[in-house]
Amino acid sequence: MTFTVAYLNEVDSFNPFLGIEASSFEMWALMYDSLTGYAMEDMQPTPALATEWDTSDDGLTWTFTIRDDATWSDGEPLTAQDVLYTYERIRDGGPERATWGVYLKGVASVTAPDDTTIVLELEQPSALLPLLPIPIVPEHVWTDVTDDEMRSYGNEPSGGEPVVGSGPFRLMEGTAGGSTYRFEVNPDYWGGTPHLDEVVFRVFKSEDPAIQALITGEVDFVEGINALQVQSLEGRDGISAQMGDSPGFDEIAFNTGSIDTKTGEPLGDPNPAVLDADFRWALNFGIDREQIIETAYQGAGIPGDTIIPPAYAGYRWEPPEEDAATYDPDRAVQLLDEAGYTVGDDGFRTLPNGDPIGKLRLYARSDSQTSVDVMELFSEWLADLDIDSEVRSYESSKLTDIIYEGTFDAFEWGWYVEPDPSSMLSYMTCGERGNWSDSWYCNEEYDSLFEQQRVEQDDAAREEQVQRMQEILYYDAPYLVTAYSTVGEAWRSDRFACLRQQPDPGGVYLIQYGVYNYINMRPASEADECAGEEGSTQLSDEQGGDGGVSTGVLVGGGAVLVALLAAGGVVAARRRGTVGERE
Amino acid sequence: MTIGAVTEAPAPPRVRRRSYGRYAGGKVLGSLGSLGFMLIVNFFLFRVLPGDPARTLGRGRFTSPEQLDDFNRTYGLDQPLPQQFLTFIQNTLTGDLGISLRYRVPVSDLIVDRMWPTLLLVGTSTILAAVIGIWLGVNSGWRRGSRFDRAATGSSLTLYSMPEWWLGLLLIYLLAVGPGPLPGLFPTGGLYSPDVDPTSWAGIPDVAWHLALPVFTLTLAYLADYALIMRSSLLDEIGEDYVTTARAKGLRDVQVRNRHAVRNALLPTTTVTALSFGFVVTGAITVETVFSIPGLGLLATEALTVPDYWVLQGTLLVSTAAVIFANLAANLVYGLLDPRVRT
Repeated sequence: MTFTVAYLNEVDSFNPFLGIEASSFEMWALMYDSLTGYAMEDMQPTPALATEWDTSDDGLTWTFTIRDDATWSDGEPLTAQDVLYTYERIRDGGPERATWGVYLKGVASVTAPDDTTIVLELEQPSALLPLLPIPIVPEHVWTDVTDDEMRSYGNEPSGGEPVVGSGPFRLMEGTAGGSTYRFEVNPDYWGGTPHLDEVVFRVFKSEDPAIQALITGEVDFVEGINALQVQSLEGRDGISAQMGDSPGFDEIAFNTGSIDTKTGEPLGDPNPAVLDADFRWALNFGIDREQIIETAYQGAGIPGDTIIPPAYAGYRWEPPEEDAATYDPDRAVQLLDEAGYTVGDDGFRTLPNGDPIGKLRLYARSDSQTSVDVMELFSEWLADLDIDSEVRSYESSKLTDIIYEGTFDAFEWGWYVEPDPSSMLSYMTCGERGNWSDSWYCNEEYDSLFEQQRVEQDDAAREEQVQRMQEILYYDAPYLVTAYSTVGEAWRSDRFACLRQQPDPGGVYLIQYGVYNYINMRPASEADECAGEEGSTQLSDEQGGDGGVSTGVLVGGGAVLVALLAAGGVVAARRRGTVGERE
Repeated sequence: MTIGAVTEAPAPPRVRRRSYGRYAGGKVLGSLGSLGFMLIVNFFLFRVLPGDPARTLGRGRFTSPEQLDDFNRTYGLDQPLPQQFLTFIQNTLTGDLGISLRYRVPVSDLIVDRMWPTLLLVGTSTILAAVIGIWLGVNSGWRRGSRFDRAATGSSLTLYSMPEWWLGLLLIYLLAVGPGPLPGLFPTGGLYSPDVDPTSWAGIPDVAWHLALPVFTLTLAYLADYALIMRSSLLDEIGEDYVTTARAKGLRDVQVRNRHAVRNALLPTTTVTALSFGFVVTGAITVETVFSIPGLGLLATEALTVPDYWVLQGTLLVSTAAVIFANLAANLVYGLLDPRVRT
């Protein structure tokens, strides 16, 4: 049976060393294996090609044991030599390092003592390991690709021959930027043969035609649609739809002090008000996040507060109840007054030195209506607090330039947060100013915690450090996190069953970390085969149309219901709890 | 002396007409000049776009400065601008259009891949629109004010003012999804079915089936261009003396129309058609979007957001070359048809 996905983004490269976009990561995951994968529950590292791993007491030596039953689709065995080759290719520098270098940073040497062992020697301990999602490529194929050829090596099938890989599917047809990508099942896959014969991705350039194609049955899955579209699909015969949690957040960011990174001199012209943490902290209570979700997100989102989304419960820090991110204009007024931003003769607030604040420049991204709506709301709430502001929208690329010039007071954007929090946390360090930092934030305590957590070997200690970092950010308020994003998905539940969310529960059904669903998904007629499996939807013809997910989960097993209730209970308890009660 | 003076009396001013060879040579040189000028504009035009490709593409992915540097070094973006310009000129002259920053494959491969869908879609639509439009224009112009004229002019104007994407979505709903009990007759998008090889014999009807709706949409949208120009130029001719003469000769109405009036009225339409073909390769962005057809128009617009300099330069070069070439072809043909233009 062929599973057809309507894809709203093109693959930018089938070469795992060159592609950057999320749409391509899905392809490589089907084609290749990596040493470790991601858990369905919380995306923490799980065994994949590596069946087990061991670390020395000083944390400087990591030994991975690799399974011996993996083969390349051309019949050659997959050994530690291929892993070594792939890692060395990345460590050599050049285009290969751009996408994957971050996972091997600080690695002093890689060796393969035998065919099933890979040893990594580090310069300093790394909290990132054992996370190694780098796709392993076959040495006997790639050794012919020179460094110069690599920068435009497409890794695409030619002459009807599939690309040599080791994953559950083989790429039969597809080009970078093309409109159809066709995969055939790999019958020799070590992880068991998938229940699909083919997976086809068809690129649609806009959402509405993709949804029409789902209705006519031309495609089986649509992702990346909005809340209104999900609503319109719910209740249709044979179709299920949901908004799945996606680990990312959107924020209102402030210019907390743009500087020329070479000279250290101030850069741009930020308003003195937004440079002041007290001013920003007061505004935390001046925005109504519930209203933002309802108006700007059409109800599809979760009110936000800190930069680690709820999907990563271990690392996440929850603000104490008395300082929770709630709409409290009275408190905002009080905080502003206390900080010296009192209302002047003209009815607008002044700076503590008595000068007028003037007009705050709020910038939105013109390519996102949500971004514009959020900033319009923000401007109205600022007016309620007697602060003048104006909203302007720019294309993302133009806004990026403005951010690096420091000629802004606030803007709206968002980040996608990887399962390992290091990269997200790094964007707020002093060293990233002029690079990825967009709020120009700099705090020494935060930076030293960042360095600590990066080498911390004890998981609990690292979680504590990461939580403390979020606490610092929350009170300094370079970002006012507005919302945690969700992604709309819809699929033919009358044709396919046994899909599982990631994170489970509450997450998305496709474009996950890893290929769990492509392997475990079954035709709807075989839905009872996965009855016992945790978290799987088990949608069939009888109940596919009547609203979907919740029914499917119930049929899928009481275990999930219990898990959901338990998770809900925990969340509720944590929300109600005070600082003292929670660790 | 006087006799001599008489023989040397001023000759009537005679226009010196160049030979066709010199005329054609001049036009070809002129075209090459425009092409060279475009080549230079091409490079600097896109460099003023805001944004940094490595940052746009690598947001959330290239987490360290080294990763950004690696990317910039690999694709030559770390070079100073004059150096990049020299490389660009050198490469373009040797037929190398560079490597796409977004797709990391040679731009010429991308353009060839995207050229065929665009040629099929826009080319077919242009031919259909020209043929049907001219027929409509002739018939409505010849019987001005008739019910046919009012219906044809009214509906082609309505279609002309409709946004193409909206017309496309409407047709998808009516003919691909099928309202209520009606079945969907055509696919909602794409260029071919995943299980059919588009280059095989079985692929031809499949591609035609997929292209039916988008071609229909574009043809409807382009129709008014040709219909209205044909109609108005025919109206100009109807009042001419030679038409009266033709009628006086006792020719039948159809003969007067086809042999005399239409032939003369066809010239402006020919110009429009020739120019339209020059613009075929620029694609039809909105229709390509709605029907998810991977064409050149879409390639160029999406490259703007990165900005993918090499793709932008490549697509602009191809489309300017096509327009310049179409112009040149029109000029050369004119020179043959009407010697007056050779002055």
